[in-house]
Amino acid sequence: MKRLLPLYATFAYAFLHLPLLVLTVFSFNSSKFTVWEGFSLRWYRAIADDPQLMEAAWNSLLIAIVATAFATVIGTLCAYGLWKRDAPILKGSLYVSLVTPEIVTGVSMLAFFQYLFRFMDVRLGLHTVILAHIAFSLSFVVIVVAARLRTVDPALEEAAMDLGATEWGAFYRVTLPALVPGIASAALLAFTTSFDDYVITSLVAGVDSETLPMVIYGMARKGVNPSVNAISALIVLALGVLILGAERLRSDA
Amino acid sequence: MKRRSFFLGLSGLAGCTRATRPRLNVFNWSDYVAPDTISNFEREHNVEVRYSTYESNEEMLAKVFGGNSGWDVVFPANYFIQPMRENQLLARLRPEWLKNVEHLESSLRAPKWDPRLEWSIPYMWGAAGIVFQKKVTPPLQAWSDLWSDRLRGRMTMLDDPADCIGAAMKYLGYSLNTTSPEHYSRARAELLRQKPLLRAYLNAEARDQLVAGDLLASQLWATTSQQAMDAPAELAFVYPEEGFSLYCDSAVILRESRRLELAHLFLNYLLRPEVAANVVLSVKTATANGSAREKLPPELRESGVLYPTQQVLARGEWVEPLPPDAQRMRDRIWTEIKSG
Amino acid sequence: MERLRFWFLAPSRLLMAVLFGAPLAIVFFYGLLTRGTYGGQSFPLTDENFARLADPLYLTILLRSFWLAGLATALCVLMGFPLALFIARSGSRKNLFLHLVMLPFWTSFLVRTYAWMFLLRDTGLINTVLQSAGLIHEPLPLLYNDIAVVIGLVYGYLPFMVLPIFSTLERLDPALLEAAADLGARPLSALWRVTLPLTRPGMVAGSLLDFIPCLGAYLTPDLLGGGKSIMIGNLIQNQFTSARDWPFGSALSLALTAIVMVLLWQFLRRKGESFL
Repeated sequence: MKRLLPLYATFAYAFLHLPLLVLTVFSFNSSKFTVWEGFSLRWYRAIADDPQLMEAAWNSLLIAIVATAFATVIGTLCAYGLWKRDAPILKGSLYVSLVTPEIVTGVSMLAFFQYLFRFMDVRLGLHTVILAHIAFSLSFVVIVVAARLRTVDPALEEAAMDLGATEWGAFYRVTLPALVPGIASAALLAFTTSFDDYVITSLVAGVDSETLPMVIYGMARKGVNPSVNAISALIVLALGVLILGAERLRSDA
Repeated sequence: MKRRSFFLGLSGLAGCTRATRPRLNVFNWSDYVAPDTISNFEREHNVEVRYSTYESNEEMLAKVFGGNSGWDVVFPANYFIQPMRENQLLARLRPEWLKNVEHLESSLRAPKWDPRLEWSIPYMWGAAGIVFQKKVTPPLQAWSDLWSDRLRGRMTMLDDPADCIGAAMKYLGYSLNTTSPEHYSRARAELLRQKPLLRAYLNAEARDQLVAGDLLASQLWATTSQQAMDAPAELAFVYPEEGFSLYCDSAVILRESRRLELAHLFLNYLLRPEVAANVVLSVKTATANGSAREKLPPELRESGVLYPTQQVLARGEWVEPLPPDAQRMRDRIWTEIKSG
Repeated sequence: MERLRFWFLAPSRLLMAVLFGAPLAIVFFYGLLTRGTYGGQSFPLTDENFARLADPLYLTILLRSFWLAGLATALCVLMGFPLALFIARSGSRKNLFLHLVMLPFWTSFLVRTYAWMFLLRDTGLINTVLQSAGLIHEPLPLLYNDIAVVIGLVYGYLPFMVLPIFSTLERLDPALLEAAADLGARPLSALWRVTLPLTRPGMVAGSLLDFIPCLGAYLTPDLLGGGKSIMIGNLIQNQFTSARDWPFGSALSLALTAIVMVLLWQFLRRKGESFL
């Protein structure tokens, strides 16, 4: 068994990583068929020349940054508040939000926004996507920060207040710094989830708020297109670098 | 503090100086304009056009049904025009801004679905038939051929209720626009029987798979089939014996549009013979523009695929909007077929 | 103390109420309405949409969703347990191996699903390799069926299984295994009778973390199943888009959410431990 386990592990890791590696390798294929015909950057050039794609990428980035910012701040404050004392309804709603399937979250937001639009002269657009992303990211952020909070000793805050700090001061000067790694993890999770989201975004996006996953999905539906391989490789690279970078910072800290 | 106010000011400025070229949002079928059609229009009128595409009427209608989608011009099939009108989705057209209507094919100048062209401008028309690999022998000739086991797993039907259910109706010998519940129930049974034989329900997505050889046969529109054949690929197209559905995609302006004049300019631009002819040359459709058709080279103008003979055309039936009960039946059956 | 906490919780409460509670309430309301001829929803109130859920056609889809999600989860347990075991026993390089498992998860789910399209289609890599090796003459129909969907689901959610099992394994007292060995148990036997039962909480947690998203999956059955392997997520999406039957789609959404909440409740009751 001693030898079986590593053997199995190799197979399992291959299963996990080969598909993405293969995708990346073939993004450099000069032919659009699955037969290797030579190294080429033509698919990368094709995506650089595609204004729709560039705009979608920019939208995705913008949405992810704004949504992450709001979700992280609101979520951190929430986790801290829940740490102090329980709030059953809020907690329950966060749980339910966590397990609700994405499709249900998406359609319910669509129905909600469309209902609101009867009374307001607004349409689906970047703003609705951002709101939707903040909403579904919130529970992740709260969980991650709450997990970190469990490693913080409440006595520290008490001590600070005994020494004359206000509640806010205790939070800001004592607990918050200890939370920074947790907050960073939560922000990273929120960012990658937002950047990658397709289901919810496709339902609440408007005319000028197409995101990168929406473009990729459209291309993937039409069949295999090596440009998708190229975009995929770039996304994996970008997110991979982001994650590894964050990990490096965390282990240094 | 100083840095913050500087950045705030900068972003405010950036917001103000955002280019204010008027913008038109156009939502069309995929592969329905030439590569330079849109950019020529943009240049000529110094406007910006956001151009996006869809693969099915249902996909388009789902987006615009709420009345606040943000689109200005869309291209529904003829049988959606009355329903869209009834749901207050269309803006009435102004003939004085559409002088180029005179170029339309005479048979489409006063179509059944919009006799005075108050709501729509015919754009491209066509039919749904069968496209298949030439190597399939004997060659396919009828809808019944798409119920045969020899094509199992290598054929597709259109992801379109009117066309797909229509094919079943024709196969059973009924009218496409029947309102009989019994006809619908039999069509449902036949389509459920066919489903295990199909690879998928695909619209234009089938084209690439046909060209690549993944598929042996598809129910597909004449225009998409012609595009596949020109890929190039060894494919043949047939207008089935039992009959087939005819449609006409028309340009409409949505009532929610705030750029009515610009939208009319765009429609009038599409009606120019040279613009329409240019589209046909690159996209291979049958244009509703008679003057444009005259400008086409013979192999396109007389193409049996895009412009079937009168004899063939006589077997075709225009898809029409159904009365509410029949429409509900059709929609219900479609959900059941797709889910079953 | 209370003032601060109130303000800290207020934004979340507002967000949850407006962007989570209200939408669900609207969906519930829509489930009771009637569909217009071409779409939209209007009075009169009806229970037709919920009644329609009992139609065998839709129950089949629900059952298929349970089946595919269950199969994918079971496969994840089978594949995930040995992998977690390996990582737990890899000594100093534990973290590295763990990261290697999580890394694909951090990249795009859509991209990972597309990767399997690339591998499985008729002219995809697997078929091309098998054909050029002369092992087959016609391409195998690997895509657009249940198997492809399960592969996609397992690939997507395996890391969610490995992590909880690994946590449980980490906390296992090595003394227990030593005791088993002292009593004469061989390694395989100790694994089966000591380690496995003690890892059950991790496997249950992982199963839940896998099963629930798999049940409501949309992208995987959509891209890898074609229109042939339709799951409840696809059905719901379809009602809200092409089919324009929001009332029925709402009824379906509520049914799915109710099922998921029951599963969650059962889990929380047994496990006791809270995430928040």
